[in-house]
Amino acid sequence: MSTLDANFKKIDKLLNPESVAVVGASNTKEKVGNIIFEGLKRSRARLYPVNPHEDVISGHKSYPQISDLPGTVDVAVITVRAEKAVDIAEQCARNRIDNIIIVAGGFAEAGEHGKTLEERLRAVPKRSGSRILGPNSLGVFVPENNFDTIFVEHGDRALAEGGGIAFVSQSGSVGVEALGLASNTGFPMRAFVGLGNKIDLNELDFLKFFGADDKTDCIALYIENVEQGRRFLEAAREVSRHKPVIALKAGRTPSGVSAVSSHTGKLAGSDRVVSGAFRQYGIQRAFDDEELCDAAKTLSYLPPARGNRVAVVTGAGGFGVMCADYIETDNPRARLRMAELSTGTISRIREKTPPFASCHNPVDLTAAVNNEMFVHTLGALLQDAEVDIVICITFFAPHAVTDKLIDRMAEVITGSDKPVLVFTEYGPFTDSYLKEFYRKGMIGFPSLTRAVRAVRFLVERGRILSALGERP
Amino acid sequence: MSGTGMAAMVEQWRSSLSIPGKPNEWECKGLLRSVGIAVPAGVFIEAGNAPASDSEVSVLGTAGRCVVKVCSGDIVHKTEQGGVLLDVAENRLPAAVAALRQRFPSAGILVEEMVPYRGGEIIIGALHDPTFGPAVMAGAGGILTELYKDVAFRLAPFTAEEAHLMLEELTIYPTLRGYRGLSGDADSLADILSKVAGLALELIREGCQLDINPIVWSRDRWVALDVKAIIA
Repeated sequence: MSTLDANFKKIDKLLNPESVAVVGASNTKEKVGNIIFEGLKRSRARLYPVNPHEDVISGHKSYPQISDLPGTVDVAVITVRAEKAVDIAEQCARNRIDNIIIVAGGFAEAGEHGKTLEERLRAVPKRSGSRILGPNSLGVFVPENNFDTIFVEHGDRALAEGGGIAFVSQSGSVGVEALGLASNTGFPMRAFVGLGNKIDLNELDFLKFFGADDKTDCIALYIENVEQGRRFLEAAREVSRHKPVIALKAGRTPSGVSAVSSHTGKLAGSDRVVSGAFRQYGIQRAFDDEELCDAAKTLSYLPPARGNRVAVVTGAGGFGVMCADYIETDNPRARLRMAELSTGTISRIREKTPPFASCHNPVDLTAAVNNEMFVHTLGALLQDAEVDIVICITFFAPHAVTDKLIDRMAEVITGSDKPVLVFTEYGPFTDSYLKEFYRKGMIGFPSLTRAVRAVRFLVERGRILSALGERP
Repeated sequence: MSGTGMAAMVEQWRSSLSIPGKPNEWECKGLLRSVGIAVPAGVFIEAGNAPASDSEVSVLGTAGRCVVKVCSGDIVHKTEQGGVLLDVAENRLPAAVAALRQRFPSAGILVEEMVPYRGGEIIIGALHDPTFGPAVMAGAGGILTELYKDVAFRLAPFTAEEAHLMLEELTIYPTLRGYRGLSGDADSLADILSKVAGLALELIREGCQLDINPIVWSRDRWVALDVKAIIA
């Protein structure tokens, strides 16, 4: 077996274990070891609590130590504090446990003593074949099999429906907050991985794994520092031939510029090099957690854009005008332009619209809009060879626009090879509309700027594929 | 140039510097010439040598207007120290050289043709990023470059096609495509960028930086008017 296959198999076990030991599992409510153990009972893995002070934990026989387990396990989750966690990780390695998740913080981020502990921990995977996730890691969450080691509140059942996005985050809290945000309106999650201090497993391992994983269609990363810079980029370029890679890179590293600095050194400020490098290697850069989640959801659900010509259909003229302004505003990610509709499309739209409707882009159906008119227009726009992307501005205020429109739009949108985004104005019912859109295969946003921003990601993705010689 | 050819050339260049680790402008321009990037016609007068004679200056083949610069690896900010004299007429050359010589007795002097150009000044740079290694920058150059911050980066090495994408990111990109009659050729600039990337891969180790500022479009080619290298 090649090293790549061996690594792939180990990470596959980490995300889909048959047997899991929880070190520090506890009957005491509120303890991390209790929350994690209770959560894992929903998974299909065989569970082995390890705790020398208890005989039975939550109905399971408890083992005093790792070495007392009846056999090896696929994953050990270590929930005890840093000092003890290192000893236990060493025991796990001796017992040939392939994957060790260390939840505790208090390592290199906590001063000299923590650094010493971290050094000892680093030696473990080097000596044995065991892999370590963490320390300071929230672990993993895989909706498909309910394997979930996250001990803090995260999202609702919308995440549990699963999906194609692998979400890999160096920071646990950023990851979890982003998931909460995303889950309000639906988020297709393949897996969440909290990297923590990444003394062993890092973004490169998971990029390669999810890159090769058939169930993943999009990879979203939150990283503060990039390990093995060039190798990470090379791997990302390969992965991006098949699926989008989006990264939120936070934190500016010291620029390494000497005291006598050139113009180049002063202009670099380290961060611009990151942007250039990401662009060069096909990584789409996000700048905040909302943008990361929006982009991931959009790129997971929708086909990339083959060009940058956007058509807009609206029942509210003002929003159509604003949308055109946003589209034509310069932006370094992707230049967009308003599509010029063909005469055939314009006459098709006229067939079902009142005489005072504007049939040029943005197409304004006016307050006379109804379900039939909207769906007919959307279909005509999608069939126009001059149009690459459509934005629907869909409000449910006009009396002839009913909730039945959603099903009819979904039918047209999911049947099209061109991406369509839907904007519905923010209000008391927005989240439930957006969630319903999501369940029916549509991407919606409660703000125009977010919708247009998502369009830019689709155009950028199309350009990346063309540059790699792949057809968008 | 092949990777090993480039490595050998850069090594040879490093070991030939008059002040080890501190290349002067003439030496930096020699390095650019050897990778096929044009620099102004010029003559280098070593410290202590007699002022340039008419015959030396005649090799410049200019219409008679020159730039006279102090040229030493020890002097980094030559303009600020009064070490650059622009638009010097041929008959004023001996006096200009003598004046610089008096101000900087132990430094060399570079006499170059005054290169005519219209259009924008471009900066090309290189540095070593702590995470990703050698990187190359292109952007709006000249003395306001740090004010405009209109620059783009790529990691070395890269192709001329990639360099072209990099140029398209710049606000000044239209000036390379004939905006308001300004001239400057994007394709040949992209080609130069990929050459600099090849050079950077060998030259730019940790702590090293390169500034070519400005490089300008003159008589149908790009010419590097000033070059500075910090090498560790």
